[in-house]
Amino acid sequence: MINRRRLLGMAAVGVPAISILRTRSASAQAKEIRVAEDGGVATKAFQSGFVEPFTKKTGVKVTLESPNPLGKLRAMVEAGQTGTVLYTGLGSVNMLAAKRLGLIDPIDWGAVDPAPMYPEAKKDYGFGHQYFSTVMAWNAVVKAPKSWADFFDAKAFPGKRALVDLPQYSLPFALLATGVPVDKLYPLDVNAAFKKLREFKSHVSVWTATTPQGPQLLRDNEVQYAVCSGSRVVGDPALGMTWDHGRLDVGYACIVKTSKPEDRVAAYKLLHEMSLPENQARYAEIFPVTGPNPDLDQYLPKDKLSTYPASKQNKAVQWLENPQWWNENGEAINKKWQEFKLGL
Amino acid sequence: MLAGSRSDSLKDSSLGVSPSTVHQAVASPSCGEGALLVTRSSGYHFIVPGFGFLIPLLLLMVVVFDAPIVYMLALAFWDKAQGFTLGYYGDVFEAPVYLRVLANTVRISVVATIVSVIIGYPLAHWIRGLGRRAKMVALALVVLPFWVSVLVRTYAWIVLLGNDGLVNRALQWLGLVQAPVSFLYNELGVTIGMTNVLLPLLVLPLYAAMARVDDRLLQAAASLGAPPSTIFWKVYFPLTLPSLAAGTLLALILCLGFYITPAILGGGRVPMISNVLDTLINVYPNWGQASAISTILLVVTLLIFAIYRRIDQTTSTK
Repeated sequence: MINRRRLLGMAAVGVPAISILRTRSASAQAKEIRVAEDGGVATKAFQSGFVEPFTKKTGVKVTLESPNPLGKLRAMVEAGQTGTVLYTGLGSVNMLAAKRLGLIDPIDWGAVDPAPMYPEAKKDYGFGHQYFSTVMAWNAVVKAPKSWADFFDAKAFPGKRALVDLPQYSLPFALLATGVPVDKLYPLDVNAAFKKLREFKSHVSVWTATTPQGPQLLRDNEVQYAVCSGSRVVGDPALGMTWDHGRLDVGYACIVKTSKPEDRVAAYKLLHEMSLPENQARYAEIFPVTGPNPDLDQYLPKDKLSTYPASKQNKAVQWLENPQWWNENGEAINKKWQEFKLGL
Repeated sequence: MLAGSRSDSLKDSSLGVSPSTVHQAVASPSCGEGALLVTRSSGYHFIVPGFGFLIPLLLLMVVVFDAPIVYMLALAFWDKAQGFTLGYYGDVFEAPVYLRVLANTVRISVVATIVSVIIGYPLAHWIRGLGRRAKMVALALVVLPFWVSVLVRTYAWIVLLGNDGLVNRALQWLGLVQAPVSFLYNELGVTIGMTNVLLPLLVLPLYAAMARVDDRLLQAAASLGAPPSTIFWKVYFPLTLPSLAAGTLLALILCLGFYITPAILGGGRVPMISNVLDTLINVYPNWGQASAISTILLVVTLLIFAIYRRIDQTTSTK
């Protein structure tokens, strides 16, 4: 969902003034590569799902580092840092922002030679390796909403709300609540969405800044309805949730602009491992977020298919984010968002 | 050792010692700076044994701290596409958003500081009057939270003040309130959290100043027939005022940069400048804009710091 560990992310971004002297090892083969990823449970999943089979085949070691906010990538590239080759977990909008800012290089798909992938996961600049959902969730004791119109109806569904403090996770839901059908969501009617949010603002008691916040607020009964990351609320008996009309997005792995060529050779081999459905299934076993292989369902336990954000049945009821639109309109909306939050 | 001729340029700028303070320092032998200086007819010279040992530290500071700050300041004036630009500053002053957030930050900081003073001053005064052992315990209790991570302390407030938290349950059990009181995710929550962090920073210097107040002065005032309130306002309070003013400003400066407390206890509804900067740096990432806002924040902070220095100087020469 949002950059994980954003609270700590601030500390991780030092503003570098001097480029570190570049030293290149004499051998053209990388012995070790560095990969930025989400942190937490996702690190364990990444290690077991992708790194272990990769190291077994190639003998190349992988060092994982977290967190992975966009600002850190920018700091790395502008300092000319050559250490990290792969930056994973960039949401679709962030991937295009990184491309616009010149922080990533195109992927050599010939070198990756991937197993089949969904088209939205296979982009020039990004290897979509994780599908994640943002959905509505509620405390199990309150009345269950069926649609976003219900979620935004504080009369029929009384209780406090928590929404995400980022426009791309709030405006589309508000617009769906006004009755706009999913297939007509984009181009987004920004004014109508803000109008809806303004009417509803008094019922929102928390605007969440990090992914774990939403489920925690629900469990503490601090709010009764919240916009949450699907993987974090599914299967929790204390909470209710639905995938219906959830926001499905893809997290991409990207090649860091300043990385070394020999590291890239190894990184492409790692991406190949990440495209294999059996590896994606092992990843999902630890962290319930699924990968881009269209046949992945066959590799997953049947009774758990309803719990994965991008299993065929769940993918069908959600809508896919439109990063292109946000890339073109994001900056203007970000400012409007701040004004909306301040009540201007 | 660095002596005589090489020190002229260092004297004023690098160490921040102006000729006027040198005079003061030399004139008052109790002041620590006096030991470092000798006066000659030609001017002021440093004899600082072991100054050479400081050079690595100074270099480190310049490279890893000062240079990045200059780089950060420059970011606001440079755009990859257009080269030199004033656009980022233009944006700050054109759109009301950022100045509103800055004003909001200053307002909340002032409130939190005032609350800290209202709680901290009587507390420090009370500790002064305690017996030896009780004094130790009280000071330890004030300092203890100082050693606990801000993050832990801030989350502790959620446990205490949440809808299902200890305080709300107690209030409801006592029948004082019907529905839980919203302590958190608003300005009240942020102010409580900030005050908690600030309190030791204010109480300790205040206590130090109060402990220095000679009891005989108060006794003398009493023997001349002054009622307690007059003694307090005419004798005791003026003696602690410089320390109070300096501590208050220091607390205020700290407040301006608060990040964790508003992020956790504000629930995204209390915009403060550090949190807006975080979004601009890490999420968007619009560093030019962030740089312009940071610079303005730095200027505001330096202004307050200048006032602090003024007060501090008058205090130390008294």
